[in-house]
Amino acid sequence: MNTGPADTRSSHLDLADLIAEANGQAIDDRAREHLVRCEHCRAEASRWHLVAGGVRGLAAAAPEVAQPARPRHGRLRVLTGPRRRTLLVASVAAALVLATAVGLGVSNNFVHIKFGTGGNGAGPVLTAVTGCTGLEQAVGRLEQVNGNSLVVKTASGQPVTVTTTASTFVSMSGALRSEITDGASVMVRGTRSGATIAAAIVTVGQPFSAVNPPGYVPVQGTVSEASSAGFTLVTSGGTRIPVTTSADTLVIVPHASLGQLQHGATIFAFGHAGPDGTLSARAVTGITQFPPGGPAGAHLHISVHLKVGAHVNGCSPRAIAAALLPGS
Amino acid sequence: MNEPHREVGSPTFTASRDGACDDAALLRRIGQGDEDAMAAFYREHGQVVLAQVLLVTGERVLAEEIVQDTMLAVWRGAGSFRGESSARSWVIAIARRQTRDRLRRRRLRVVDDAFLADQPSSGPGPEATALDRADLAEVMGAIRQLAASHREVLGLAFGSGLSLPEVAGVLEIPVGTVKSRLTAARAALGRILNEKGQNR
Repeated sequence: MNTGPADTRSSHLDLADLIAEANGQAIDDRAREHLVRCEHCRAEASRWHLVAGGVRGLAAAAPEVAQPARPRHGRLRVLTGPRRRTLLVASVAAALVLATAVGLGVSNNFVHIKFGTGGNGAGPVLTAVTGCTGLEQAVGRLEQVNGNSLVVKTASGQPVTVTTTASTFVSMSGALRSEITDGASVMVRGTRSGATIAAAIVTVGQPFSAVNPPGYVPVQGTVSEASSAGFTLVTSGGTRIPVTTSADTLVIVPHASLGQLQHGATIFAFGHAGPDGTLSARAVTGITQFPPGGPAGAHLHISVHLKVGAHVNGCSPRAIAAALLPGS
Repeated sequence: MNEPHREVGSPTFTASRDGACDDAALLRRIGQGDEDAMAAFYREHGQVVLAQVLLVTGERVLAEEIVQDTMLAVWRGAGSFRGESSARSWVIAIARRQTRDRLRRRRLRVVDDAFLADQPSSGPGPEATALDRADLAEVMGAIRQLAASHREVLGLAFGSGLSLPEVAGVLEIPVGTVKSRLTAARAALGRILNEKGQNR
């Protein structure tokens, strides 16, 4: 506070006091008393409060930074063989695709994803989605793609037609190493071995979400020298990082086209049901199962539980897309 | 309508924080190649660094790349951390250098000397009046239009949890210059708001 005898400039609060006050930090009693009775300083404090609020508002609007964390080993579910691979793929994909949909995140370092419907073969074609009135969900295997529509066969064996428009959010994930091509922008999440990263997850193209599944620090860059065994990741700073991929590497394409969805993929579609039973989709994601016989060295250990139903946080296009890809 | 006491933001952006000892221990472990420690450090500081870099660059993808490069630099350089500053100000200083390098390559300048001259406000002029009349959304929009150097100092002072001496350390300028720059930033903010008000 500028109240000392040698200070002839001002009897008002020093900027440091005003900044501290705007930051909610303690100021000394003398400064506090001055603030109570000085209209000029109260106005200044109010202006700095507003500026600080603006800065924090922008910070709060910043995308969520990737949150790496390791799963709790005590809760690992270790499986073996093809079932292990299938479950791992499904669970990892589901973790990425549906965490928001079921209101669960990765902040607890362990993801229990609940998805699917009609496991007993008698489930409905469409199921309600909470959080957005009129929104329904179709889940099943992709039978065929006809132009802008999909035919999905549900677990009960019933076909459902899913129509899309140019604004439908389409994404896909699974054993899709062929999507990793030279020049592609990718985000790699994996484990280090010396200078090499063994990729557990590779996100191709512009990421929709900044959320990580537990355990990995993401590295972003451009693909170079892509092969079936891996590629070289060139970071924005020019660093070249060798990346290995395997049959267990999960590839995610957050912004895909219908033509990229593979026959047999598990399809999750959110949209509105028409009178003829078709689903006019606002968001579609396809999860491609890993092929049997791949190496058993899966990197992620995330358990999965099945449950009917899903949830979205609103009806905006982004909210619905976010329900299929969390953390936007 | 001015709402000076409205709280915006998350606990990530509180002005003060504990855990300096934990940070030092984390950095020691990172220096020894402990990936868990790196992940913990990332969780502790990544969001604040991203918010600060995004405030300066205004580009999400670029900001995320800079944060990534910053964390790679932390991974490689944690052993050189001597504890002379807080880990938060250390990592933000690294991010600032990364940002400056990246923007320099794009022929932009983070710190433009033209914006660094002391421009202390002189009482409730039109800029202060404009600020008094502005609401939070308008202020947020106006901050986006500030020069990078002004966004930077505001972000460090209000968004990163650093003290003014720590801000001075990050910017490598005296505390008095930090104050001058903050005052100039607010004056510029007021001018933007004033111009918007006149155009309405």
